[in-house]
Amino acid sequence: MKNETKQVETTGHVWDEDLQEYNNPLPRWWLWTFYITIIFAVSYWFMYPTFPMGDGFTRGMATITYTNAKGETKTVPWNTRNLLVQEMNESSSAVKQKEFLDKIGKMDYSAIANDKDLDGFVNSLGKALFSDNCAACHQQGGAGIVGLYPNLVDDDWLWGGSFANIEHTIREGRYGFMPGFSKVLDDKQIDDLATYVLSLSGEKGDEKQVQSGKTLFHSDTAACYYCHTEKATGLFSQGSANLTDQVWTIANISLNTDAATKKAEVKKVITQGVSRHMPTWKDRLSDTDIKLLTVYVHDLGGGK
Amino acid sequence: MAEAIDKQMYNFSIVRKFTVMAIVWGVLGMSVGVYIASELAWPFLNFDNAFITFGRLRPVHTTLVIFGFGGCALFATSYYVVQRTCQTRLWGGALAELTFWGWQAGMVLAILTYTSGFTQGREYAEFVWPLDIVITLIWVIYLLIYVMTLRNRSQPHIYVANWFYLAFILAVALLHVFNNMAVPVHWFSLESYSLHSGVQDAMLQWWYGHNAVGFYLTAAFLGMMYYFVPKQAGRPVYSYKLSIVHFWALIFLYMWVGTHHLHWTSVPDWASSIAATFSILLLMPSWGGMINGIMTLSGAWDKLRHDPILLFMIASLSFYGMSTFEGPLMSLKSVNALSHYTDWTVGHVHSGALGWVAMISFASIYHLIGKVWNTSIYSIKLVTTHFYLATIGIVLYITSLWVAGIGQGLILRAFDDYGNLAYTFIESVNFLHTPYMVRALGGAFFVLGILIMAYNFYMTVKQSRKEASDIDGLAMIPANAHH
Repeated sequence: MKNETKQVETTGHVWDEDLQEYNNPLPRWWLWTFYITIIFAVSYWFMYPTFPMGDGFTRGMATITYTNAKGETKTVPWNTRNLLVQEMNESSSAVKQKEFLDKIGKMDYSAIANDKDLDGFVNSLGKALFSDNCAACHQQGGAGIVGLYPNLVDDDWLWGGSFANIEHTIREGRYGFMPGFSKVLDDKQIDDLATYVLSLSGEKGDEKQVQSGKTLFHSDTAACYYCHTEKATGLFSQGSANLTDQVWTIANISLNTDAATKKAEVKKVITQGVSRHMPTWKDRLSDTDIKLLTVYVHDLGGGK
Repeated sequence: MAEAIDKQMYNFSIVRKFTVMAIVWGVLGMSVGVYIASELAWPFLNFDNAFITFGRLRPVHTTLVIFGFGGCALFATSYYVVQRTCQTRLWGGALAELTFWGWQAGMVLAILTYTSGFTQGREYAEFVWPLDIVITLIWVIYLLIYVMTLRNRSQPHIYVANWFYLAFILAVALLHVFNNMAVPVHWFSLESYSLHSGVQDAMLQWWYGHNAVGFYLTAAFLGMMYYFVPKQAGRPVYSYKLSIVHFWALIFLYMWVGTHHLHWTSVPDWASSIAATFSILLLMPSWGGMINGIMTLSGAWDKLRHDPILLFMIASLSFYGMSTFEGPLMSLKSVNALSHYTDWTVGHVHSGALGWVAMISFASIYHLIGKVWNTSIYSIKLVTTHFYLATIGIVLYITSLWVAGIGQGLILRAFDDYGNLAYTFIESVNFLHTPYMVRALGGAFFVLGILIMAYNFYMTVKQSRKEASDIDGLAMIPANAHH
């Protein structure tokens, strides 16, 4: 065979009947490539931080030069920390983002909302902040889940839709609570109450039941009016729902729901009550982030 | 005949046992792999059942394929190779049986503890502390058997494959003991605290983790390669000199590189630099094994046309070369900035695990089945089918995760015109859905391949029993009695 003529003989050892080894030299290209990797590694050790020495380490000869916001040019040893400092001072994306954030940090809400030039930035960072912090509950896009997480894309607010209210909600979190009435009211009373509540948003029901429910609503037995108010329009300070519109946040009711299901859903809420919790974000997001997110959520709800 | 007498000296029963279990754990471990890959693509497959969630099944998959399949293949081949190249019977008699039963018990207990939620939380070292102790004992016995058999050899020289196996056994003992130093919460508790903390703990873990790759998944399987490749090709090893140089270079350099798993974390820059440069230095020593393997095969290209075992070997060496090139590349800080925390890493490890480790094991097992069961393989055609299924599977797997990983890396670092991150995290997850489906499909091809191997293996053993009883009317015959 061709190979055999080129190859030197074997080492002369034989194992297991026929296992042998040729005495071929190290392939040249293999050896030279190995030398090149050694040269690469040794140069790297001189250039970059590599060997621990006493309390410190060899810093290497490579340096990083950057110009900071004050216009001073700095030259520092190469390390990943300084690399970040350079990026934050010089990369076009970091500089641009900082410009916008500094500007927004100094503006008040109405100024931000009225500045058309900021729309693009608010939407871009707002979407990122919303998706990474809010979407897990309120869903991507903010439509929420009925009964669990409020819908943020309509203009019906439980805790108020002003900039101040939204900021407070994000900063401090919210605790939405309505007691369950299963032990306070009997079945008939709950049925009457549900009939009355539905009548507030135009649903027809037995007039006797409506009247009896209305009395209960305003009595100190059920005491619904404490939170939902005399007019049943709800109270932002309590996060209590407006019962006179057709927007339902806890009971799973839509325009097409039939009368029986509607009543069953409302009765379920009265019986079981509500307990929902939104955590606080003041320790997780910066003031400017919260401000920006407030504007973004305010926009989602139609800006009202 | 002198040869027949020699062969009677060998303990092939232990080789047969480990071979059977290599295939059993291979089928199980790889199937679990396909299942968890599917869970990532279609999360409903978790079925809200804690025992089968991704988090618990993932260590079951890694443990069964590395320690179950890979481990049993290494026990089987090392016990086989050390006897044949030393021309002496395995030392220690029933001690070898102890390593077998102990190892299998370890695997079963690992499955039970992981699925019940007990884990040390150390990657590839999830075994709870009592299991760590059992494994240590088995491993010391393994070392003893191996060294004593080498000492008893009737050959003047120690064959190269044994250097690699011995380095693997020694290094794994060291790694296992130091990485699992922990303080149990209570004598009757499966929980424990690691002796070290913070960055030191992380560096120790990856010193272990990467040397598990280096000594377990590389050096040991190179030992396999150095015996079975020249045997199957019927040709001498290409270069004795290369085998010595790349062996010592590999052994010396591997121990330094583990920290490249921790680039861009709180490890000091100097530790990252050492890991990156030693990874680059490792490229050629790793390739030494590939060159020696491929050059040994190079005089036997004509045999590739009708020998699928050689096909497995050449493919495994090619994947070995590819993944040992990709590894140093990914260990450079600048490349790692993109690849770290992405599925590129997962793809890389599978090109080594499926392409190199599994394929060289398949080849070696196909080679030794005939020898230790004293028959020939039931169907060479099925071996060819297995080869093509496995290769298609690997290619689908690696390419889909290159797309996934590089895409993920680019998505996570993209900025828009305002200097904000252009994508949210969830958008990167959405993007992964398609590559994840392709990856699961690739895995399914690979499992189909090993299922065919299992069938072929079963039929071969059945055929060997029939042949044995045909010859002299005995139902059971030790394979070493005839030649």
